[in-house]
Amino acid sequence: MSDLFVALTPANLLACLAGTALGTLVGVLPGLGPAGAMALVLPLIVKLGPTAGLIMLAGVYYGAMYGGSTTSILVNVPGEAASVVTAIDGYRLARRGRAGAALAVAAVASFVAGTVSVIALQLFAPRVARLALAFGPAEYFAFALLGLVLLSNLSGGSRPKTLAMVVLGLLLSTVGMDPLGGTVRFTFDVQGAQAGLSFVAVTTGLFGVAEVLAAASAPDAPAAATRVRFRELYPSRHEMRRAVPPMLRGTALGFLIGLVPGPSATIASFVSYGVERRVSRHRAELGQGAIEGVAGPEAANNAAAGGGMIPLLSLGLPFTPSTAVLLSGMLLMSVTPGPFLLRDHPQVFWGVIGSFYVGNVMLLLLNLPLVGLFARVATVPSRWLMPVVLVLCAVAAYADNNNLFDVWVMVAAGLAGYAMRGLGLSPAPLVLGLVLGPLLERSLLQALTIGRGDVRELWASAPAALMLAAVAVALLAPLAAPLLRRVRTAREP
Amino acid sequence: MASRDRRLALGLAALALLYLAAARRYPPGTPAEPGPGVFPIAAGAALFLVAAWLFAVSSSAGAARPDERRWSAPVLGVAAALVGYAALLPLAGFAATSFALVAVTAWHMGLPGWWRPLALGAGVVMAARGLFVWWLGVPLP
Repeated sequence: MSDLFVALTPANLLACLAGTALGTLVGVLPGLGPAGAMALVLPLIVKLGPTAGLIMLAGVYYGAMYGGSTTSILVNVPGEAASVVTAIDGYRLARRGRAGAALAVAAVASFVAGTVSVIALQLFAPRVARLALAFGPAEYFAFALLGLVLLSNLSGGSRPKTLAMVVLGLLLSTVGMDPLGGTVRFTFDVQGAQAGLSFVAVTTGLFGVAEVLAAASAPDAPAAATRVRFRELYPSRHEMRRAVPPMLRGTALGFLIGLVPGPSATIASFVSYGVERRVSRHRAELGQGAIEGVAGPEAANNAAAGGGMIPLLSLGLPFTPSTAVLLSGMLLMSVTPGPFLLRDHPQVFWGVIGSFYVGNVMLLLLNLPLVGLFARVATVPSRWLMPVVLVLCAVAAYADNNNLFDVWVMVAAGLAGYAMRGLGLSPAPLVLGLVLGPLLERSLLQALTIGRGDVRELWASAPAALMLAAVAVALLAPLAAPLLRRVRTAREP
Repeated sequence: MASRDRRLALGLAALALLYLAAARRYPPGTPAEPGPGVFPIAAGAALFLVAAWLFAVSSSAGAARPDERRWSAPVLGVAAALVGYAALLPLAGFAATSFALVAVTAWHMGLPGWWRPLALGAGVVMAARGLFVWWLGVPLP
């Protein structure tokens, strides 16, 4: 346990500071995301040695997670899937001149969630990790389906419209190689489409390019926000009070969801937003620029990042691209994560956990003073800002896979996203379908194969049966409600 | 005349049918050994059902109009610039196409004068090259 303080040596503190600063900087650029940012520094960490190198890598991870939300809030371009939900209310707050408040709340929420999840990581890591292994294909299938059905109605609009967007996302997720057999589907002989539609290209198009087109439709509109005074850069006491409950709810949800393999940070942010829509005292304002819509999802995705460390450090299983890069970093240093990590490399284990504490404090200290600088971006007139956003989107789309086809995907997604705005369709559920589609398909096919074609395998276990029952209730309730109302009206005298 | 939502539902249903027709190329396999066609068939059928639901619940009269946006000249100009950008990128490279994209977009969005769009284009290209290529080592086309 005393090894926890190894993170406080000057060399390790410097490595942590460099990692969080670099992660924040790269995370702010749309497209690179935490995994891309971590991959960039892999060659560098080898020179630092195991403890300092992994501390720096972990710092990049946390920094990039936080930085990803900055572009969501300022220019409606989510740098990664986990920041998509933050864009819904964060960008609207920025347009109302509350970009600073939204960024500061995002920083505080990330800090609170990151710190709480590290404490939980330290206390429960080995025991909780075994829970993650209890999930088989049938449970994953039910979990993904439940997530899609429950979280689809984020925008609060028409239920069939949001479900249509989710299913459209599933359709798009089938482009490219199928997850089990490797059959190439729906590519129409386009070479660049074989790897599937890049999530980054679709997201930057649906959000960023569509935003540029929307700005072009009203070129004479004033800047997103006017210049604000220093004291208005930070959240008011009222805003902070409103942000605390969603922050705590998001932290708890995010940590638990982070234990589940899959795109947990993304799911956690969507779940948190869905919960706020139901329980928040200001739920009517969600979608219009409510601080709860930033605090909850930001806490959730950062807590999920902490939760995701448990299976990595305790079992050596990376469940997300970011933790897979962290695993690569560990293997590069001849450190094998798993049940024996604590016995064989106690300095590395506790040093990395200690660096999470220090990293969270550094992120807060680093980002709060920068809020004013970032918030100024929202005051730049769109005729100057939007052409720059367009090039950033193009670079992000291309750099994800070094694939020119992805630039076409971004352009098509941008035009579709702009048209969708006119039709009252929200792009967030489509993104959810695109992210969860491969997990849903893989787990369905695996469960059917395990059950030798017996579909009862899908609900054979109690958790899977419970989740599928919840799916049925969620789907049938809106259909049954009008019928029940009619029966009640007919019975009334 | 059908309402906008009904037209949307019909469009989604047509898309689902087209997708299902394309999905016939991939074998569904057997229940014990599901093939690559199973999930697309299920997803296409789901889209068709949701489209039918949307059609059923949307009224025939024009309903709410959440955010009608015109395809005005600046929007079409930026859209055309984007398509041109994607088409010319492999031929002319990042610097020339990005410079043109920024300048054309800025001009369509009302940046006054001729030199401001050009200066913005040049500045963005140089900054992007410096940041992504030289500093971060991210390859650009």
